[in-house]
Amino acid sequence: MTSRFLSALAILLAAAVSVSAHHAAAGIDRTTTKELKGTIKAFSWQNPHSWMEVEVVGEGGKVVTWTVEMTAPSYLVRAGWKASTVKPGDEVRVTVRPLRNGDPGGLFVSVTLADGRTLTERPVLAQAAPAAPPAQ
Amino acid sequence: MRFAIVTFLVAGAVATAGAQQADAPPLGALAPANLNKSRPAAPFDVTGTWLNDIRFKGSWRFGPPPDNVKLKGEALKHFEAARQAQAEGKVYHDDIGQCWPAGLPMIMTRVWPIAMVQKPTVIYMVSGFMNSFRTIFLDGRPHSDPDVVVPSFNGESIGRWEKDTLVVDTKYFVGHHHWIDSGVPASTETHIVERIKMVNSATMEIEYTITDPKGWDGEMKFTKRWNRVDDQDIQEVSCLPDLNQHIPSTQSKDNVR
Repeated sequence: MTSRFLSALAILLAAAVSVSAHHAAAGIDRTTTKELKGTIKAFSWQNPHSWMEVEVVGEGGKVVTWTVEMTAPSYLVRAGWKASTVKPGDEVRVTVRPLRNGDPGGLFVSVTLADGRTLTERPVLAQAAPAAPPAQ
Repeated sequence: MRFAIVTFLVAGAVATAGAQQADAPPLGALAPANLNKSRPAAPFDVTGTWLNDIRFKGSWRFGPPPDNVKLKGEALKHFEAARQAQAEGKVYHDDIGQCWPAGLPMIMTRVWPIAMVQKPTVIYMVSGFMNSFRTIFLDGRPHSDPDVVVPSFNGESIGRWEKDTLVVDTKYFVGHHHWIDSGVPASTETHIVERIKMVNSATMEIEYTITDPKGWDGEMKFTKRWNRVDDQDIQEVSCLPDLNQHIPSTQSKDNVR
């Protein structure tokens, strides 16, 4: 049954950003990704969505805080996450699907930690297998 | 004479007892006297944790409306406005993102699992999405008096067994901030019939028939599947203001409200 769940979850996460969110996500640009290199300001491990804030130094040295929306902890655990995986002050590279309107926010795709590990929202087992195409 | 008096007293006592019984409130679904009533065995038991199977074609959304359905009135206006918003890359009335309940039918197909507990008289459902609570009464009660019932986002569900199928009739919905699908509003007249059956011990299928004389002519029909996820539990979850402040897609200015 675990494999059935992981398989379904892998498809779900691969299929569409809007599927993984509890709300409509038409404001997200799903055609592109953006990499943020910065410092974790906050990370909240909570239902139905976890989230993180990443401080990014922009043009002229101005610090911009990006808000990154994530999925639920029950899914993140299967992708190798714990509540302690990131903490304020950590230097990270975060890939997001950004908001269309240019505001500093987006949906989480992956994070590369200071120790070189890269984590996504996809189950660890599913990451080893090719993602199945969406059913609809 | 003595016989007549005794007869009169006995008849009076029986009548009084009968009147008291008639006035007694109906038994709750979990009352032992209700649970222990003699009933045919249920054809199946949905007790377990279930996740909508998005691999099954059409399993996730309750839309777009089928070709046989003609939207009208406010529903048509909403639908056309939603299509316009979508064409502009905007979100239309993202009420769920603003903490309004998803409600039936949408709550059944969110991407969080649903815990279901079945007793002879009732099925309780708790969604992993906002802990939305749903009750399906199986104890033979009719729908409530419309002058008494409190409308809700999941409505009032009454189930009955038809051979190997559980037929669930649901009405008395909240008619605002409640959507069948993006741009297709539910109303106080929305009526949903679910025909629930087991494909096998680990797969459940539900055929939906949704009508709403206020919103459209015709019947919307959808068939969806769920799989057991035996390694999942439902956790406490609420829609919180400080959470929503950190969800970019609910805070975006691209939401049409």
